[in-house]
Amino acid sequence: MELIIYGLVNSISLILMSIGFALAYGVSRVPNFAHGALYILTGYMTWVFLNQFGLPYLLSIILALIVIAVIGYLLYQVILIRVRGMPISEIIASFGVGLAILEFLRWTGLRGMAHMLPLFVKGRVYIFSVPIDYQRLIIIGAGIAVLTLLWMFTTYTKTGLSLKAIAQNERAALTLGIDSDRAAAVAVSLGAVLAGLAGVLLLPLGNIVVETGYEVLVFAIAVSVCGGLGSWKGAVLASLLIGFAQTLTVTYLASHYHFVVALLVIIVVLIAKPSGLYGKQKELEERV
Amino acid sequence: MCPQNKNEFILEVKDLILFYENAIAVNNISLSCREGQITGIFGANSAGKSSLMHTVSGIMMDMKKKEERRGGERITWFGEIKYKGEDITNLKPSERAKKGIVLCPERRQIFSESTALENLRIGGYLADKHQAKKTLDYVFSLFPELQKLKSREGGFLSGGEQQMLAIGRALMAQPKLLLLDEPLLGLAPSVESRLAQAIKEINKQTKITIVLSEQYARPVFPIIDYGYVLENGGIVLEGAAAELMDNPDVLSAYFGM
Repeated sequence: MELIIYGLVNSISLILMSIGFALAYGVSRVPNFAHGALYILTGYMTWVFLNQFGLPYLLSIILALIVIAVIGYLLYQVILIRVRGMPISEIIASFGVGLAILEFLRWTGLRGMAHMLPLFVKGRVYIFSVPIDYQRLIIIGAGIAVLTLLWMFTTYTKTGLSLKAIAQNERAALTLGIDSDRAAAVAVSLGAVLAGLAGVLLLPLGNIVVETGYEVLVFAIAVSVCGGLGSWKGAVLASLLIGFAQTLTVTYLASHYHFVVALLVIIVVLIAKPSGLYGKQKELEERV
Repeated sequence: MCPQNKNEFILEVKDLILFYENAIAVNNISLSCREGQITGIFGANSAGKSSLMHTVSGIMMDMKKKEERRGGERITWFGEIKYKGEDITNLKPSERAKKGIVLCPERRQIFSESTALENLRIGGYLADKHQAKKTLDYVFSLFPELQKLKSREGGFLSGGEQQMLAIGRALMAQPKLLLLDEPLLGLAPSVESRLAQAIKEINKQTKITIVLSEQYARPVFPIIDYGYVLENGGIVLEGAAAELMDNPDVLSAYFGM
């Protein structure tokens, strides 16, 4: 039972970490390698608003998410737009931005274990006699809420539908009056907000450290590659797969293997099904 | 032909020249389409039909931008495109669509992972709620089979159904000038005539001006008002449908009749 509950928490954490990456890639075909940096940056901004400006916790979070949305939008409009359509340049440019953000944070003093976000609600409950703290329950709820809202957004709103259209067939979308650069900017911005949201939800469980930024990026890539690049269904399935695999390893082997598991799952999936669980071989061929 | 005579020109292309790198794709084409009419553009592969359609709809600007970013083929063009008397040569495709120029692209380009209904709803991106609902009902009355298939994914529809969906999707964008690039490509003869009739009906009922391109003119010849014949990027022949029809050389040379 403990395995199921903590496996689920772990899987949903992975979904939160990677869904923004998968979304931005699915729409703009831009792999945003600054994803992990945006995750940490949002957490750190929240910490600054909370501790140095003395703002209330909720307000700090909302402010940080707004700022990260603007940063994501500018990241596309100023930098990524110039290299769009050239995969290697996209990766180098966005990874460069991520590197710059993370190392800048380290330089400004984000070192050691001094930076922590408080838990939303302290305390714990017992579910089937398994102890679980409220923060993790909130993560489960938030993960499900994010997926539901995203599904509703892309099914019922015009902007959401336009993102879906651009992801599937850019030229056809253009003929219908959808502006592809605008849609891609919205997607990268939304991806940044999702990265930030994951940050403020998950960071209270540990410390805000620069290294986590790189780790989150690896997890996001692992989930997206394993699920099939750009596919949300695949991302959810892959999160469950990797999440439970990690929990099993931590329980039966040792906790420091959990990072290896993510990479091992990529290798196994790529050998068995090179385009990922839900990916399209054709798209990969076109891209690579 | 007197331009003032009852129908105004909604689209005027003047001296259009288009190069892909050093290869000329459109060679000094001038043409005009009257409001409310169906204009046909005929020609073989590489005659310049699609290049012309892409330039009018603005997709060419996007292609040029992408090629430039990638450092690929240089696309250049000269000339002027006027829509309702206004120069639109430098407008983005999305801005042209907002003005009412909607392209229904060659090979249908359906959103294959979205259901038929979702394809139509995406088509209604520029429409308000009321327009979208009205047009959706109209599309379903035009193509009743789409209503039955509305929850099926676009990629699982047959070629004919996909073409109906593509036309319906373009209608959802509230066009005033509808560009149909080879709408009958790869369809069975019975489906061909069915679609040609539907295109005529759309033109009659909604007063939308239509420009359509085809390689093979016979199935659409009865529905057009005016026609141009392209060869190697240039216009070799033009005239009202009746005039073209009276010319036996034309019929055998270009229309296989």
